[in-house]
Amino acid sequence: MDDPARTLVAWCPDWPVVAMGRSLDQRVAVMAANRVVAASPAARAAGVTRGQRRRAAQGVCTDLDVVARDEAVEARCFEPVLASLDDLTPRIEVLRPGTCAFAMGGPSRYFGGDEAVVKGVVQRMAEVVGGRTDVRIGVADGRFAAGLAARLADPVRSVAPGTVGRFLAPMSVTVLERPGLCDVLIRLGITTLGLFAALPSASVIARFGSAGIEAHRLASGLDPRPPEARPLRPDWSVSTDIDPPADRVDRVAFRARGLAEGLHDRLSAEGVACVRVGIEVETEHGETLSRLWRHEGALSAAAVADRVRWQLDGWLNGSAASRPSGAISRLALVPDEVVPAHGRQLGFWGGETEADGRAARVAARLQGQLGIDSVMVPELRGGRGTDQQIVLVSAATVELRGRSVEPESRDPAPWPGGLPCPSPAGVPVTPVGIELLDRAGRTVGVSGRGEVSDRPVRLVMGAKSAEIGAWAGPWPVEERWWDPDSYRRCARFQVLTTDGVAHLVALEGGRWWITATWD
Amino acid sequence: MTSSGSEAAAIIAQATRLVSPLVPAHEQTLPVLPVLEALLPGAAIRRGSTVEVQGPGATSLALALAAGPSAAGSWTALVGMPSVGLMAAGEAGLALNRLFVVGPPTPGSWASIVAALIGSVDVIVAAGGRRCGDGDLRRLTARLRERGSVLVRVGASGSASRSVGADVRLQVVASEWEGLGDGHGILRRRRVEVRADGRGASASPRSSELFLPGPTGAPQPVGLAPVAKLRGV
Repeated sequence: MDDPARTLVAWCPDWPVVAMGRSLDQRVAVMAANRVVAASPAARAAGVTRGQRRRAAQGVCTDLDVVARDEAVEARCFEPVLASLDDLTPRIEVLRPGTCAFAMGGPSRYFGGDEAVVKGVVQRMAEVVGGRTDVRIGVADGRFAAGLAARLADPVRSVAPGTVGRFLAPMSVTVLERPGLCDVLIRLGITTLGLFAALPSASVIARFGSAGIEAHRLASGLDPRPPEARPLRPDWSVSTDIDPPADRVDRVAFRARGLAEGLHDRLSAEGVACVRVGIEVETEHGETLSRLWRHEGALSAAAVADRVRWQLDGWLNGSAASRPSGAISRLALVPDEVVPAHGRQLGFWGGETEADGRAARVAARLQGQLGIDSVMVPELRGGRGTDQQIVLVSAATVELRGRSVEPESRDPAPWPGGLPCPSPAGVPVTPVGIELLDRAGRTVGVSGRGEVSDRPVRLVMGAKSAEIGAWAGPWPVEERWWDPDSYRRCARFQVLTTDGVAHLVALEGGRWWITATWD
Repeated sequence: MTSSGSEAAAIIAQATRLVSPLVPAHEQTLPVLPVLEALLPGAAIRRGSTVEVQGPGATSLALALAAGPSAAGSWTALVGMPSVGLMAAGEAGLALNRLFVVGPPTPGSWASIVAALIGSVDVIVAAGGRRCGDGDLRRLTARLRERGSVLVRVGASGSASRSVGADVRLQVVASEWEGLGDGHGILRRRRVEVRADGRGASASPRSSELFLPGPTGAPQPVGLAPVAKLRGV
C-alpha cells in the first residue's frame, strides 16, 4: 500500500533554450529576473551556470546570447511533444515545460512490459523533438526517483522495482531541492539521501516538521505523503461556460483567473491544497481536451491561472493537427490530487511576510483589471544615464514575496561618467526637446573636444523660457561605440534656472533635451 | 433572575474588554524619517490619513515621506507617476523591493486603482486624480480610515470641500540649491523650507528647514555641518 506507483519521467534537457528557437551548439543563456535559469551545453562549457547573474555570465562568456525567459512559449512548444504520447496513456501530467510524467501500471500491462512503453515514448518524442535536444527517460518506483533517474539517464535509466532505496542512497541531499533543509543536513554531516533516510522519522518530524517528513519520505523512496485513507472525495472541480465561445487565449485566460481564484478559495475553506490540477476544455463542436499539471509546492490561484494560459496557448496556437476545430465553450478545472494544507510559516526576520502576500494579491488584481504591464517593480541595472540605472519590469515576471533589489555587491564599483548623488526625482518617460541659448541668442554647441561654444543663459521650452542662474558641464558620454544599435553620444549639463528649478539637460544628435529634473 | 442578569452584564463587560482594540486609533501610526518628525503631530503619520504635498520639490518630499514606513517594512505604491526618478526614490530611503509603480491610470480609473491599493499597500503616493469627484474622494477617505493605509497626494490642489480635504498639508515654500556655480560645481543639496498645516491635531501650522535632497540623496537636517568642511578636517 505504501509503495509508490511505478512512474516514467521523460525529460528534454535544456528545454527553455530549445523553446526559444536556439540551437544547443550556440552559446545561449535564458534569463529570468537577471539570473540564468538555463544555459545551452556550449554556454555551460564556457562557465555559465544556473543562478548566475547576467553580468557574471557575460563576463565568463563574452559572446553569450542572452534571451529572456518566456514560460508560455516553453509550454506551447512542449504541447506537441505531449500530444504525441496521448495514444500511449491518457494520464500524462506536466511537471513543468520540458518534463512530463505518467504512471506505468496501465500502459505497461497493455503494451507488454516497461521496455515496450519506454521504446514507444522515446520513438514518439524523438520524432517531435527532431534532434533539437535529446530525450531522457527515467523509470522508477515513485516520481521523485524517476525524475532523478531521468537526470542520470543516457538516454534511458530504469531502476528495478524494489531497489529504489539503493538507487537513492548514494545521492547528495541537495537533490531534494529544499535549500534550507539541505543546508542544515549538510552541516549536521548528513550528506547523502541514504544517511537521511536512516534517521528515525519521529526524530525528523520533531526537528524539521511536516516539510522535513516529506523530504524524509522522498529520501526513503516512498511517496512524499502517506496514502490517503479517506474513501470518498467530494467533487471540487469548478467550471464555467464561455458564451459566446472564445477562440482567443486571452479571453479564456481571463475567465480562468476568476475560476482559479474560486477554486482556490473553495479548497482553502476545506483545508486542502491542490498539487495536481486537470485543465479541461470543451469546444463548440463537442470536442474535449484535457491535460494534467503538477506542482510540488501546492498550486496557488495565480499558478493555476498561468498554467491554464500556457495550456490554452499550446492548444489554440499549436499545429493544425492538434488544434481544436471550434472555439472554446466550456472550461473546467479539476483538482485531481489534493493534500492537506499545512499553510506556510511566515518569516519572522526578513523573508516572506504577511504584507508581501497582500501586496502580491493586489498586484495580481490590478493586473487583471488593467493589463499585465500596469503594475511594475523596479530592478537595478548598471548604467550612466538616469534611464539606465533602474528599469521597470512587470510585477508578473518576478517573485514579489521576499524579493531583494540589491546592487550586485555591497559596495558596487562606480560607473565612470555616471551621475553623482543626489539623483533627480523626475525622469520624463521621453526626453523633452528644448533650446539652450547663449547671450547672442544662438544655440549653445559643444565641440568634438568637449568645449562649450558659449555660456548658456536662457532655456526655452515651447512657449516658456527661463533664465539660467547657474550651470556646469559638459560631461560627455560616448557609449557602446562597438554596437551601432545602442551607440550613444551626448554631452550633459546641470542647469539651474533663476526660478530655482534644476534640470539635467543633454545635447544629443544636434538637439538639446531635458533628460531629468530635480523635482 | 437578577443574579443571572448581573452575571450576563459581567460577561458582556469582560467580552467588551477582550474585543476592544489594544491600540487606540490615534496611536496607530507609521514611522517617518527623523528629519520629517518636526512637521507631523506625534512625529509620525497617522494610519488612515491623507497627506497633500505641494510646491517645488513635491516629488522629493513625497518620496521622503514614504521612505520612513517603507524602511520599516511597509509596501509603497506610486500611482500616476510615470516620470518619477526611481534612483532618487532609492536614495531617499524607499525600499525598492517593496515598491510598485502602477499606471498609467486612465482618467476614469484613478479612484478605483487607489481604492484597490488601500489596505493592501501601506503608503500610496499618487499624482493626478484632479478629475476625481468629491463623492469618490469621500469614499476613498472612508476606506483609508477603515483599512489604515496612508494616501500621499502629490501636487494636488485639493478639493474645495473641507470634508474631503487632506488631514495634513505639506508645502515647500522656499527652496535653494547649493553647489552649482557659473560653469563649475555640481548640484549638491537643496535647502527647503516646508510648512505643514491641516486639520485636527495638525491644525496648528508647523515649519521646518531641511536639505531635500541632501548630498547622498536622503533628506538631512539643516543642523549638520557641510560635507566639504568635514572632509577638510
